[in-house]
Amino acid sequence: MHAQSYQTELYKNERGVTWQCDLTNTIVIDFEPFRIRLRLPDFNTFRRKVNGIDIRAMLFDLSDAADYQVLEAPKAQSAYRLTLCELIQLRDLLNGTRFALELSSLLHETLGEIVITD
Amino acid sequence: MKNLLRLHTSLKEEIEIALNAQVKMEAEASHKYQAMASWLEQNGYEHSANYLYRQADEERAHSLKIFRYINEMGGSAITPAVGEVTLDFTSFRSVFEAALQSEIAVTHAINRIVGKCRQVDDYATESFMMWFVNEQREEERNARRALELCDLIEETGTGKYTLDKEIAKISAEEE
Ligand SMILES: [Fe+2]
Repeated sequence: MHAQSYQTELYKNERGVTWQCDLTNTIVIDFEPFRIRLRLPDFNTFRRKVNGIDIRAMLFDLSDAADYQVLEAPKAQSAYRLTLCELIQLRDLLNGTRFALELSSLLHETLGEIVITD
Repeated sequence: MKNLLRLHTSLKEEIEIALNAQVKMEAEASHKYQAMASWLEQNGYEHSANYLYRQADEERAHSLKIFRYINEMGGSAITPAVGEVTLDFTSFRSVFEAALQSEIAVTHAINRIVGKCRQVDDYATESFMMWFVNEQREEERNARRALELCDLIEETGTGKYTLDKEIAKISAEEE
């Protein structure tokens, strides 16, 4: 749990961590080397983009260029070179986050719109 | 902790994916009709070509209708990539056989979405999709009527000319 109570951790892996910020209705993605804050639609687009990268093709492509994937982080106005391993970890982080969001939503619906604390 | 997903959209992800797939299918249907109309036009069937060009416009409108619904509900509509359509027909009749096949496939897809809506209690989308259910009933009837006319009118000599004109009347019949 994050120090500030309006931020709830959603998902964490070896490489990064994500939070939901109830103050701004955004998702914070902390993934070295970037930290970005996204609205849900932007998060969805970003996740779709990352999921859309053909990792198999990267694996079987022997050229040097295929060892890295250049990824533009939305709203960060910069691009990052991610290794295959980083890409897989980022994908895991985003999909895990999505799962946590869905689980939270499901709990809200099942339990009614009562305040869910940690 | 807020229900962040629900704040942005009432669409469940699987419904959003299914709707986006339907956006693409309708766009593809539009392309198919355009290819059919083109064949008819090139072979002198001017009236029925016009009829199918109108169908192409209609399918494009269907695609857009779903596209805008997704955004309206807070989802993210995806502009579909539609590939090249190469259709080569052997006869006038085969054009309308392909049209019926295409409409049947669309009906199945629409029904599957309605089924999904019921599974996840999304009655808003179900109600929205009912318009398409009715539309498909009409589309299938029109496609069958075209084939029926092919059976009634012989595709030889002046029959071709009559057939072309009669089929163009189908869409007028529905009003
Ligand atoms: Fe349609």
